[in-house]
Amino acid sequence: MRLTLAVHSISQTDFGPKTQLEGTRLQIDVEELRRCILQDRRLQSVDLEIARPGESCRAGYVFDIIEPRAKEPGSGVDFPGILGPVTPVGQGVTHVLRGAAVTVVDGGQPGGELGYESRRGGVSKILEMSGEAAKRSSYGDLQHLVMVPRAHPDIKRHAVLNALRVASCRAAVFLAQTALSQLPDSTLDFELEGPKSRNGNLPRVAYIGQIHGHQHGTESDEHILYGANTRGMMPTPLHPNEWMDGAVVTSYSWGGRGLETYFYQNHPIIGELYRLHQSGQANFVGAIATISSDQESEMKRNSMMAAQIAKWNLGADGVVLTKYAGGAPHTDMFETARQCEALGVKTVVLTSDTASDSRAESALLINTKEVNAIVSHSEGSDVRFQLPTVDRIIAGNSEVADIISGLSELTPDALCGIANNQGASRLQPIIY
Amino acid sequence: MTTEMEKAGIPVAQVTPMTLVAETVGSNRIIRGRSIVHPLGDVDLAPEEEHELRRMLVQRALDALASEDRTTA
Amino acid sequence: MKVVHYLNQFFGGVGGEEFADTPPNFLEGPVGPGKLLNQILPEGSQIVGTIVCGDNYAVENQQDIVSFVNAKVKEARADLFVAGPCFNAGRYGMSAGAVCEAVKSESDIPVVTAMSEENPGVDVYRGEVLIVDSGSSPANMRDVLVRIANLGAKLANDETVGPPSTEGYIPQGFLRTEFVEKTAAQRLAEMLMAKLKGESFEPEIPVTTFEPIPVPLMTTEIAKAKIALVTDGGLVPRSNPDNLPRAFSRVWGAYSIDERPKLLEEDFEVAHGGYDNAHVQQDPNRLVPVDVMREMERSGAIGSLHEEFLSTTGNSNPLENSRRIGREMAQRLKEAGVDAVILTST
Repeated sequence: MRLTLAVHSISQTDFGPKTQLEGTRLQIDVEELRRCILQDRRLQSVDLEIARPGESCRAGYVFDIIEPRAKEPGSGVDFPGILGPVTPVGQGVTHVLRGAAVTVVDGGQPGGELGYESRRGGVSKILEMSGEAAKRSSYGDLQHLVMVPRAHPDIKRHAVLNALRVASCRAAVFLAQTALSQLPDSTLDFELEGPKSRNGNLPRVAYIGQIHGHQHGTESDEHILYGANTRGMMPTPLHPNEWMDGAVVTSYSWGGRGLETYFYQNHPIIGELYRLHQSGQANFVGAIATISSDQESEMKRNSMMAAQIAKWNLGADGVVLTKYAGGAPHTDMFETARQCEALGVKTVVLTSDTASDSRAESALLINTKEVNAIVSHSEGSDVRFQLPTVDRIIAGNSEVADIISGLSELTPDALCGIANNQGASRLQPIIY
Repeated sequence: MTTEMEKAGIPVAQVTPMTLVAETVGSNRIIRGRSIVHPLGDVDLAPEEEHELRRMLVQRALDALASEDRTTA
Repeated sequence: MKVVHYLNQFFGGVGGEEFADTPPNFLEGPVGPGKLLNQILPEGSQIVGTIVCGDNYAVENQQDIVSFVNAKVKEARADLFVAGPCFNAGRYGMSAGAVCEAVKSESDIPVVTAMSEENPGVDVYRGEVLIVDSGSSPANMRDVLVRIANLGAKLANDETVGPPSTEGYIPQGFLRTEFVEKTAAQRLAEMLMAKLKGESFEPEIPVTTFEPIPVPLMTTEIAKAKIALVTDGGLVPRSNPDNLPRAFSRVWGAYSIDERPKLLEEDFEVAHGGYDNAHVQQDPNRLVPVDVMREMERSGAIGSLHEEFLSTTGNSNPLENSRRIGREMAQRLKEAGVDAVILTST
């Protein structure tokens, strides 16, 4: 399977009379974009703003961040299962507006399982464009189209969230379609032969990633994998190119701190494994998508099956495992790693510090001697960012505007792009 | 929590869907709970079936308490 | 900077094992390895006094030695307290750790000691006391004293102490989050390759193992036992009287079940941010099975159900905190004459 990313660098984004890409300048006809978003009859209006690197601007609470991308006609469907029929992605040419992002802000209800507030209490995800936090965030140097879609008041919350998801994908495709007829600045090829690849006697490596944590459930109309909600899902081989090309988006889970669709599209771990592959250090044989379960028997079964697929279907010698944030997914990841090790497949896991007392002994929810290769992005609860007062607040509603305009300090878990479960984080716990 | 209560001499049977966590911190009597979102229930069952499930899980906990060995049931 | 130094009878020049029962003695100025340390200490610093005590005496009379040392440190108005190096001498390490910890908490001045990693004093005191890794051979004396002097000066001047590997002390087990050059993905790929090639690698979080606890036995048969329900799933009465937080809970509550045949939706709520609470909210017996326990009480399967249930929120809790909550709960349950507990977790 071969995917070519046609990369168009973006240095400037503005609203203007015509939606077009001129060199590295992206111009957006705001009314045309509005019509595109509001074709969804559940939405009554949408606020559209641009937030640029270094601007004194803060947005919240963030629903998701997506990189603008559009498939070359004939290459496949954009976001299959969400915007179009379910057909495979990961092949052909995909145009990318590198340096740009679509950032969707949730204007819906506070609290509860589907609300936009953080489940731990306190603020939910914030996009910060200036100061130290922006400098440390992967999103601080991007040109953001920030949109706040607003649903009709009688629309149920799950349908509002569904509308936010559809709008986020539509906007990403809308922007990137400006690049379709243009020559890219560069192209990146991603090609793997798959499990049958021999590639000398290089060690065979794979990725096992969770794409949802079911301790928080899903909505029946929630889009996660090719538009499906992943309830009852079993581990499944999912080609690394599919991860990067719109097969997966993040779930609604507000507990999913440090997870955005942007880093499925630019998956740091898949990127690293490709680098090992392309530089002849390892043979990247594939990836497995899985979930964490809320049930013991399902957890055991899924862990076992993911390990079996890694061993017998992919023939992996080593795997990288990630979780979908949280403590329950941590269990599933460790059990999967343990099962892999039992089959002779070497593992490394990406964890976060699950306790709050800074003691190394509390930091792992589970300690097993087999799972001994541990990388942590921490949650950085001991890191504080002093926030500047900002000129512009883009908020989902007036209550959130009041809260986030008054913020003076935040920890990384409330800031987009600093702690990240997909491998993008530069945070590391150092043992003192 | 379990181990501190056991150190104080109180036998504890822990009903949990996350048995791996309980095992690694040293709980001695572990009963598999149904689900993280309802450890002693199941919304997919009829009310009387669910009640019977809960009765069975509690009975397993009592059996574990009566046992002199480390158990995972 | 005024330094007070602690030595055992051997390094203090009193004598070998036959003098291990020697009670503490305070000497003006540096003694034994303290003479070398005195030369290494930065300009304007000096060892003003040395306490020498026999290893057996110190271990057997810990209260005495601790008060003796505390008094001398105060009299000398010390800015820094140093003990050892103890290398792998076990009793020496235990007493050095004990006096360091006591001086730190009593006089609030920095303390430094040195031991080999195998010294039993390390396990007990590493979290509280900065312990330089001395290795087991006194031949390293000078190098060890240099590190003691550097660390002592930094602590006394309130300078930032670097990580254990650069400063040469034994890790205390605290995690500090820092920004590093490499992303987690890069670190994962490197660690995977190292593991596949059989090269050594360091986990970023150490794997802790827990000692098994002996299985406590029931002292009464179940049919006569008083059984309590405990949960870490965050069930609380409506309005959450103890303000249990949805994560990082430092508190717990004891809530009356009264004569209730079961728990009702309208009386309770859930304070736990780690799972979808809707199903437990709808029927709290799915977390705290009062309904079934009442039936078993009536049928004689159990002696009785304890009249209150205990609840906390086990979401992202530090171990030490969970242990304390466990101890406090155990005490309350013991006082109430509870024979056994069913703990329900989410």
